Amino acid sequence: MTTLALPRRAPRPGRSHDQPPRWQIYLPLGLYLLFTLIPFYWMLLFAFREPGSDSLVPWPITGQHFEKVWTERSFDTYFVNSLYVGIASMLMTMLVALTGGYALARFRFKLRMPFMLALLTSQFIPGALMLVPLFEIFRELRMLNSLWSVIIAETVFQLPLSMILISGFIRNVPVSLEEQAWVDGCSRLRAFLAIVLPLLRPGLIAVGSFAFVHSWNHFLFALMFLNAQDKQTIPVGLNTLIGSDSVDLGALAAGGVVAAVPVVIVFAFIQKWLITGFSAGAVKG
Amino acid sequence: MSSRIPRRTPRRTLARGAAAVLTALTLAATATACGDDGTSSGGEGDGTGTITFWDNNGGPRTDIWNEIIEAFEAENPDIDVEYVGVPISEVQSKYDAAIQGGEGLPDVGGLSTAYLSNLVAQGALDPVTDRLAESGLEETLMPNMLESIRTTVGEGDEVYQVPTSANQGVLWYRTDLFDAAGLRPPATWDAFFAAADELTDRGANRFGFTLRGGEGSIAQALDMMYAQSGIDSFWDGDTTTVNDPANVEALRNYVDLYNTVTPEADLNNDFTNMVATFTGGEVGMLQHNLGSYADHVAAFGEDGVAGLPMPTSEEGGPHTFVSNPVDGLGLFRSSDNKEAAWRFIEFAVSHEMNSRWNESAGQIPSNLQALEDPWIAEAPPTRAAVEALSDENTTIVDLPYHLPDWNNISKADTEPNFQRLLLGEMSAQEFADDLAERLDEAQAEWQEQRR
Repeated sequence: MTTLALPRRAPRPGRSHDQPPRWQIYLPLGLYLLFTLIPFYWMLLFAFREPGSDSLVPWPITGQHFEKVWTERSFDTYFVNSLYVGIASMLMTMLVALTGGYALARFRFKLRMPFMLALLTSQFIPGALMLVPLFEIFRELRMLNSLWSVIIAETVFQLPLSMILISGFIRNVPVSLEEQAWVDGCSRLRAFLAIVLPLLRPGLIAVGSFAFVHSWNHFLFALMFLNAQDKQTIPVGLNTLIGSDSVDLGALAAGGVVAAVPVVIVFAFIQKWLITGFSAGAVKG
Repeated sequence: MSSRIPRRTPRRTLARGAAAVLTALTLAATATACGDDGTSSGGEGDGTGTITFWDNNGGPRTDIWNEIIEAFEAENPDIDVEYVGVPISEVQSKYDAAIQGGEGLPDVGGLSTAYLSNLVAQGALDPVTDRLAESGLEETLMPNMLESIRTTVGEGDEVYQVPTSANQGVLWYRTDLFDAAGLRPPATWDAFFAAADELTDRGANRFGFTLRGGEGSIAQALDMMYAQSGIDSFWDGDTTTVNDPANVEALRNYVDLYNTVTPEADLNNDFTNMVATFTGGEVGMLQHNLGSYADHVAAFGEDGVAGLPMPTSEEGGPHTFVSNPVDGLGLFRSSDNKEAAWRFIEFAVSHEMNSRWNESAGQIPSNLQALEDPWIAEAPPTRAAVEALSDENTTIVDLPYHLPDWNNISKADTEPNFQRLLLGEMSAQEFADDLAERLDEAQAEWQEQRR
């Protein structure tokens, strides 16, 4: 008698036997999401709720806090300044990190490893420690009270990590691709621009977005290097909404929304590239 | 992964690159070496042109300062004032960075006695003693504010700050809750502790009091300690009275309020959270200064909240307060236009402007005529604070603002201990002894430096 082996039932698509039930995934995720979203809800509630209201729902909705911070508290000017600093720092960081990262990835030169180590250790130096030397340098360069002092300082502080990340991305692009281009008559620059650069898009987006967000949020350099009221940036403006004895929570929350919106938009557009970028950069060195 | 380099970098290019780096480093080193320290002596100027003014509470005070500047420029068309609002939390760092960096200090700056001695020690400020006397301004200002400024710096009669206002600790209470519970206003400590108990119903999320367990907790604790103990001086010779048995007992009473008649979350309260706890919930009392009056009125209306000076041991007894920092304006030594800067200071503390500023800020004016203005009579907590301060039986305990380490001691060094105290991980005696040791050491160091 022959026995027929019954075909094993194929697992249902989308779920293997090893996977836990969905609620075990979604419940903790939901709780985590709740935990992280409550502060945002609090911010939106205070920003859109009428002054004096203690409702837990921002209804009737009001825009008066936004009007206050945007016009009376000069957030219109701060927003433009922050945008300028954020975009310029991002572009400069990407440009320098790209060239420096390429050199680190493709060339073998003396002191390369000590240089990499120096880049890494520079990450342990807090910005506050460098404040006075930077202040003096910008003073001598007549750059105090110029947005460029902040842009340069932000770029310098973001370069080490950005360069290390970019060099990792470049190492993942086979050098043989460039070599083929050289054989076809391309210069190194042309080969880089035509072959390597397009493949670095996820990495560049990751580095650029972090550079932008970091510059957008950073408070210390803008506070210290900029004196004129019309040169201040959003983080400094937000701090001026906290007084010594009283805080206008509605205005503070509205200012928080103004500060958060560009960051949320940036991440909403680039999240796909961001994940790809970091996973690509994390493969091997 | 290895790479083939198509064209070898010539040695000459490398040398050129190294030279460029070396030059840049040399230039940077030269640049940093030749800077001064921001304390150059500046000049009188011709009394015209542009002066820069840093507001040390930028944001909340921006509107009123702009009003004053507009009025000043209308009266002095040959002077322009450039206003810069600095966040209150960072103003000391900004002054320090500009002093150390050697540039960027304003002509006139908003100051507080909380960090005045630090700026004077760095040589950043011009004394204004002679200018005050020559202009007759001295006669128009509250003597005890000027005295507080003199004491803070500790250089005899020398004055480095023109006072604009002072603040005062107030016990705020919800009149609606007190009326509903049939309680009398907390004018004495017995009434205060009884009301705190009576108004607490933890199950219903109602509390008698909210305290400050996080940032800024030490100043409030000291206010509560000295107001209860009645000890009239912070120092007994060169030894602090912080750990006097009467103060330790008072501290114990205060700390015992935590998590019995206060919310548990008070442990991390800074003033923002504390005021929000009071205005956003069902809390009977709060100890904070006059500055939060507008927040309370916005939350409860003028009839829903009242403020009293700190309680006394017996009805109508003498008050004991710890000194609140005096706010004012300083003339910076590096200013090249001191004549115009001084004219602005004179204008800002004139009767009308000082009154307008303090009415907006809800604080006590430094100008004696402004103290008589109707708005003070119409703001009961401010009036009560002025009356209590003017009462000859009132004792003001001067906190040691003269110690350069005061801010460190009262914040970073001791605030974590206060949280341990609230959590029962430290006793009131241990806390007070630790604070006293730090203060005595700082005082000894300060005395040594003065010799």
